[in-house]
Amino acid sequence: MIPPRVLVIIPAHNEEASLPATLAEVRAKAPGADLLVVDDGSRDATARVAREAGVQVVRHPVNLGVGGALQTGFHWAIDHGYDIGVQLDADGQHDPGYLAALLAPVAEGRCDVSIGSRFVESSGYRAPLNRRLGMMLFQAVVKLAIGRRITDTTSGFRAYSREVMKVCRYDFPQDFPDAPLLIGLARRGFRLDEVPVRMRERQAGRSFYTLGKQLYYPYKNLLASLMALIRRPV
Amino acid sequence: MTFFLSKTQVIAAFGAVLLALFVLDLVRRRKLSEEYSLLWVIASVFIALLGFSTPLLVWITRTLGVMGEASTVFAFGLAFATAMLLYLSLKLSRLGFENHALTRELALLRHDFEEMRRERTGEGSR
Repeated sequence: MIPPRVLVIIPAHNEEASLPATLAEVRAKAPGADLLVVDDGSRDATARVAREAGVQVVRHPVNLGVGGALQTGFHWAIDHGYDIGVQLDADGQHDPGYLAALLAPVAEGRCDVSIGSRFVESSGYRAPLNRRLGMMLFQAVVKLAIGRRITDTTSGFRAYSREVMKVCRYDFPQDFPDAPLLIGLARRGFRLDEVPVRMRERQAGRSFYTLGKQLYYPYKNLLASLMALIRRPV
Repeated sequence: MTFFLSKTQVIAAFGAVLLALFVLDLVRRRKLSEEYSLLWVIASVFIALLGFSTPLLVWITRTLGVMGEASTVFAFGLAFATAMLLYLSLKLSRLGFENHALTRELALLRHDFEEMRRERTGEGSR
């Protein structure tokens, strides 16, 4: 079997501090994969440190958010003939040591989207209360919508097949690509699967979840989930 | 003052005419596109019509059961303002989508462009 061509897509917004270590770790633990950093309108040296690490960099002139940055990565992956795209955070939360395990089900054709889950096996991860409530809510929403339990809907550590990326490069939830994305993909008939992973604390920089976003998040995601469910897939 | 029922009606009538003239002038000076002038013109013509035609205003007020003719004028003004805001929200959303697509296209093209330039000028120069 020809090994699939894998692109690791790293959306980065002002991540000059944590990016070099993340890139080095991916290189070391997943030598077969290519890397693409999508610099999402950073005002620091994100693009420069990525280029110095020798990876491909695409720079957005303005900030589009995680969803927009991933879409750019999907375009790149399709244009350059990749079979699988992996979404990985720049801040070091996602351990590249799990890449092989995450890719396997997609590479073997067992599913179309593979989600790195903190909860398939107890990984000792405990989020703050507000985060936990949100996770429980959207776990229930996804279960209700697609009739299947996804333990970690908010995980941003995922692998996508080429077919999924072909759809997602044009149609992808902005701001918070989690529950609505999973519902939309399931509605299109793509198969989702989860792989147990452990996640770490972010190594440097700041999380992008501000107070305003924390209040906006439930509204936006509930509405987007509902729409993903009732919208006719195109 | 017999033609008009109240001062509010006078203000609404002449205000609407001034607004229509202003909107048309903005189009003439290419500050406002024809498309966006449409709702404004419809709104001001309609309000002017209510203002200058007391029988029409009275008839609509009676038919709809509105308390007072002035309220009818303001109700229609508010309805048009709401329509305009919704229309602008739609346009804004669409502009947002288009803006994202353009940003992406620009980013990908710039990458290719810089790569080609590097190839032409030889390795080593960034």
